[in-house]
Formats: sequence, structure tokens, C-alpha cells
Amino acid sequence: MLALQTIADGLVLGGLYALSAVGFSLIFGVMGVVNLSHGALVMVGAYLAWFFWHALGLDPLVTIPVVMLCLGAFGYVYQRGLIQLAVDRSSHVASMLVTFGVALMLRNTLVLVFSPDLRSITPSYSGHPLLLGGIVIDPVRLAALGASLVLLGALALILNRSRMGRVIRATAQQELAARLCGVNAHHVYGLTFAVAAAFAGAAGAILGIVLPFSPPDEGLWTMNAFVVVTLGGVGSPQGALLGGLLLGVMATGTSQLIGPAFPNAMMFAVLVAMLLIRPSGLLGNAFAGSR
Amino acid sequence: MAIKRRTVITAATLALPAIRGASAQAAKTITFGGSIPLSGGAAETGLNVNNGYKTAVQFINEQGGVEIGGTRYKLDLKLFDDASDPSRAVNLIQRQLDDGVDFFLGSFGSNIVLPTAAVTERAEKPMVQAGGGSDQIFGQGYKYVFGMFPRATRQFRSTAAFIKTLMPPVQNYSVIFTNDAFSKTAAQGVMAAMKDQGIPMLESYSFPETITDASSVLASIRAKTPEALVCMTHDQDNLLIAKQMIATGTNVNLLFQGLGPQLGSFRETLGKSANGIYFQTYWDERAPLKDRFFGTPKDFAAYYRKNNSRPIAYHVSAGAACIVTYIEAMMAAKSIDPVKVRDALATIDVNTQYARIKFTEQGDGDPVIMGPWVGQVVGGAPEVIAPANAKTASYTYPTPPWSQRS
Repeated sequence: MLALQTIADGLVLGGLYALSAVGFSLIFGVMGVVNLSHGALVMVGAYLAWFFWHALGLDPLVTIPVVMLCLGAFGYVYQRGLIQLAVDRSSHVASMLVTFGVALMLRNTLVLVFSPDLRSITPSYSGHPLLLGGIVIDPVRLAALGASLVLLGALALILNRSRMGRVIRATAQQELAARLCGVNAHHVYGLTFAVAAAFAGAAGAILGIVLPFSPPDEGLWTMNAFVVVTLGGVGSPQGALLGGLLLGVMATGTSQLIGPAFPNAMMFAVLVAMLLIRPSGLLGNAFAGSR
Repeated sequence: MAIKRRTVITAATLALPAIRGASAQAAKTITFGGSIPLSGGAAETGLNVNNGYKTAVQFINEQGGVEIGGTRYKLDLKLFDDASDPSRAVNLIQRQLDDGVDFFLGSFGSNIVLPTAAVTERAEKPMVQAGGGSDQIFGQGYKYVFGMFPRATRQFRSTAAFIKTLMPPVQNYSVIFTNDAFSKTAAQGVMAAMKDQGIPMLESYSFPETITDASSVLASIRAKTPEALVCMTHDQDNLLIAKQMIATGTNVNLLFQGLGPQLGSFRETLGKSANGIYFQTYWDERAPLKDRFFGTPKDFAAYYRKNNSRPIAYHVSAGAACIVTYIEAMMAAKSIDPVKVRDALATIDVNTQYARIKFTEQGDGDPVIMGPWVGQVVGGAPEVIAPANAKTASYTYPTPPWSQRS
């Protein structure tokens, strides 16, 4: 029973990791930019959801669309106004440094606006555990996992079935060819960043229900995203989902079998192993085929 | 007689050195340097400590400063944000030493206080701090470092003695800690103190420095059902553990969380579920204490609230006590020579609104005189439940399950 409980806990945790990493994966896969401000965008989403809940009493799951809209708009402006400039004038390394700087600014802005105090969102349905065949499930985490799966599914649909998704995939695979077909690549990159930022915001809103948070946590979520992407593969929601679920089960399993001090050590051991054995992740790079 | 412009300029030029001298004499100041986490992971409590420092300096300056050895001084603070980063803190302290600062206040967090104390010790400048309790700080043979709390391994003694008195008797306990300078040694203190009281340990759980998920440990706790669970972890970790305990219906008769329940934000997040959580505290504004500057803890709290919107916490009081202790030592030494002030600090025994201040030979707070009180959240507020002379409310034991708390 303890083994089943550990797997269930891991899967629920993994859903959160997956959602929090998918934006990072998309930006890395489509634009080749390592977005070190990803965790900060997650935190902005968490604080926006907290604000709506605290000031207006709105449930975070209800305000996810508004949070996504805000972060999406910010992401578009951020990419067109800063990252694209850095890439055009210098290199992808410069854009990485830009995102690092923005992460620091966002973190300190959150401290200024919301103070460094711990925040947490406690919806009315929290605190009533579900018992399923002897396994205890936190309904909040279950709701978070459900929301994560719905959002990841929606993203997969957008990328695979919509016109915007096709344009994003085409630009990621062959920017020159896409341009020759009349695609405004800069606009597409802006849109990609907007989608990624929106998903980071949604992840933040969901994480806010599950975990207490404060601005310095942004580093943790950037690091987690990096590990998830390395495990699952770059550029696709499926890769993020696989990586996230694996990471979640690995964290709870290591904690149960070896000790709660070791999940991070295990995580980095697997990260190193993956980089040596299969650097493109389990599902590979979704856009690597024609590169 | 008409005054020529040249005459005025000449007179002013001649008078300038005298004016400068006079203003320099009137503005004699004692500067306290240091770093404090105003951003980063330790900022929440860092802000509280910083507010304590600022409140004491502001209050004393409003009273006209202090007279030490026949000279009147104003106080000045030179504290910089170390962003909860030990290496940044060390650089800031070194720069202030180079600038000639003689007296230091501590940062918050043993991981920051420890390396910065090494720097001030080497320079033979005193540091009085309300942010580091790790045994490592007080086990180095330092002569210039003083702390407002007993070292971590001694902090649980009074709580263990209290737990021993509970009926029905607590048969066993488990302990959770993180792998950092404070938490680890504090957990060792828990194990030693509980062993002294004859209460056996079921399990100890060691986490990395930051906890992001405690589900597997809580599953183990549900399986092994200890009667008491002691969490010697930091605020954020404790909040996460409590939230996950509530969400998974993990109940114990006694949940003790060393840091967190004292904070308003913590109790607000947990709502009625916070009621019944045990903690330890070093200060309560209803305590029967008095110092020569602020008066009673209630007077101090009233002055603080008049000047700050941030809720008061025991770290605010402890921060203010650092300044008051410095001043008391300077007055006793009749000097602001760092070595003489250090000697006075080593033998100080004085009442403040925070506590009676008396340090051990190693510089930490005397565990009997400055030891913590046991607290419990009652009706959403932090109350002192032991010792009897400081008690502000009756305690509940065994604590009801999460679902039945009101």
C-alpha cells in the first residue's frame, strides 16, 4: 500500500512539474533560448492568482484564463522588446543573460510589491482528503493535476491542430523556409513566448494552491523545468509530461526508499546520466528532425 | 554702516572651519554596521530583525541619544541587503570593516551569521546578533560574537520538559529537519533533550535545505503514527508540512513547529487548522519585563506599531534588544572602544523588554535565563502556555484531528 501511495503522490507531483516546465520546453525547442526567467514568470502567475483570491475571493482555477492572458501579453512584449533584440544584435548566449537579468528584476519587483513574506492560497475545497482504496489523495493536488493535464492537452492540440501551431512548428523547423512562405518569424517567436509565458502563469496559479511560495522560489522552478526538459525531451507537451511525471515519481520514490534528503541528489544523477546517454531526452527534440 | 559683499564673504570663509567643528561635535555618532536579508529566502524574518534594529535606533535618537562616558552620542545604522546570500554578506561586512565600522549587528540565518561572524571576530570587532542559533557559531571559540538565543542544541530543553508533563504521557515522537546549519543542530538538540526526558524517537527525517514535497514522509508518518511530531524546519517548510498534513489527514497528538506559527501570515494561511500547533517563542508583549529605554514589552510594541505597519514578531523585539544590549555594555564600559565594549558584553546581566540578557562564555544566550517559552496557537493567536509565570493561555492536548479544529 505504501508503494502505491508513493506512486500516486509522485504522479500528482509530476503533473505539477510537467505544467511548470512546458513553457520552458517550448521556448527552448522553438527559439533555442534558455529562458532563465521562466521560474520568475511562474512566480508572477502565482502572485497574480493570489491577488485575485485574496482581494476578490476568486478561486485560482477560475482565474487561470485571466492570469494566462496577463502573462501572455507580457511574454509577447518581453520577447519582441528584449529577447529578439539580444538575439539579433548578439547571440543566443546574450539572450540567456538578458533572461537572467529579467529574472532578478522580476524577483525584486515581486518583493517590492508583495513583500518577501510567504504567501499561500487556501481554497475552500482544501483540507478534505480523499480516500481511494486505502490511498490518501489531496483533492487540491488532484485538482491541480487535472488542470495540468487539461492545459497540456490544450497546448498539444494548439501545436498540432491549429494554424498557429503549424506556423510555430514550421518556423521552429526551418525559419528560412517559413519566411519564404510569408511567415513573420519575429511575430511567431513573440507568439511562442507569449504561449510559454501564459503556461508558466497557469502553472504558477496552480502551484500557489499546492505550495507556499515567495519570490526567491523562482530559481527552484527554473531548475526543475531544466531537469524535466532534459528528461522528457525538448519542445513538446508530451516530453514535458513524461519528464514531469518521471521526476515526480522519482522524487517520492527516492524519498521513500532511500530517504527524504536524497531526491535532489537522485534528480541530478539522472540529469547527468541523461545528458551522457540520451542528450535529447526520452522523446527527443520535437523540432530536431529537419535541423 | 554699509556692509560690503567682500566683507561678508571673508567673514563666512573665516567662520566656516569653526562651524564645521561645531557641527562635528554636535553630531557624534555610534555607527552599527552589518548586513541583513531584505530580499531572498530569509527576507521575511530578516525584515523583522531589521525593523527591530531600526526601531531601537529611532527611539533612542528621539530621546536625544545616549550618554556614554560623559559624551552624548546619536546612533546610526549602516545595514545593507545581503539578499540571503552568505558570500555577499561577507563582502559587505569586509567593506564596512575597511570603512572603519567598529560595531556589528547580525544578519538572519545561521548560514549567513556563521561566515560573517568569522570576519568580525578576526577583526576583533563585536557582533551582537538575533539571527543565528547554530552551535557552529558558538563552538569556534569566538570572543566577540554574542547571540540573543541559546545555541540550537539547547533550545528544545524547556519544550521537552513540558512535553514530559503532558497527560496522557507522550510515548514516542518523530522529528523532521533540513540539512542546514541551524535545523540540523536544532534536531540534534531535540533528540538529546527528549532522550533526557526518556521519550523514545520513532524516526528522524532529514530533508534537503528546501522542502518542495513532504508527501512520502507523511505517508510514512501515517503508517508509523508517532504521538508527537517535531519539525525543526524553517517557516516555509513548516507551512508546507502543515498544509500537506491537513490535506492528507495526517494527524498526531502533538505537532511542534519551531518556526512559523509565530507569524501572522502562517496562521492566516492555515486558518482554524493552525489552532493547537505548538511552537516556541522568546518574547510576548504581556511578559513582566522592563528596560531603561522602552519600558515594558507592551510599551515597545505600542511604539513599534505606531511607526510600522508590519506585524510585530519576537525577532523584532530581539533585534531591538541587540541595540539596547550594546548601549548597556557601552555605558557599563564608559567607552566605545570595541575591546572594552566586548568585555562589558561578556559580563552583561541586564533587563530588556525582550528578556534578561546574559550570555554564556561562548557568547550564546544563557539557556535558563534566555531560553524559549512553549507556545500554542489558541483561537488563531500565539499564546504562551509554559512556564507558569509567563503563561497567557491554557493548552490543548491531545490536539484534535485537523477536521475537528475550530
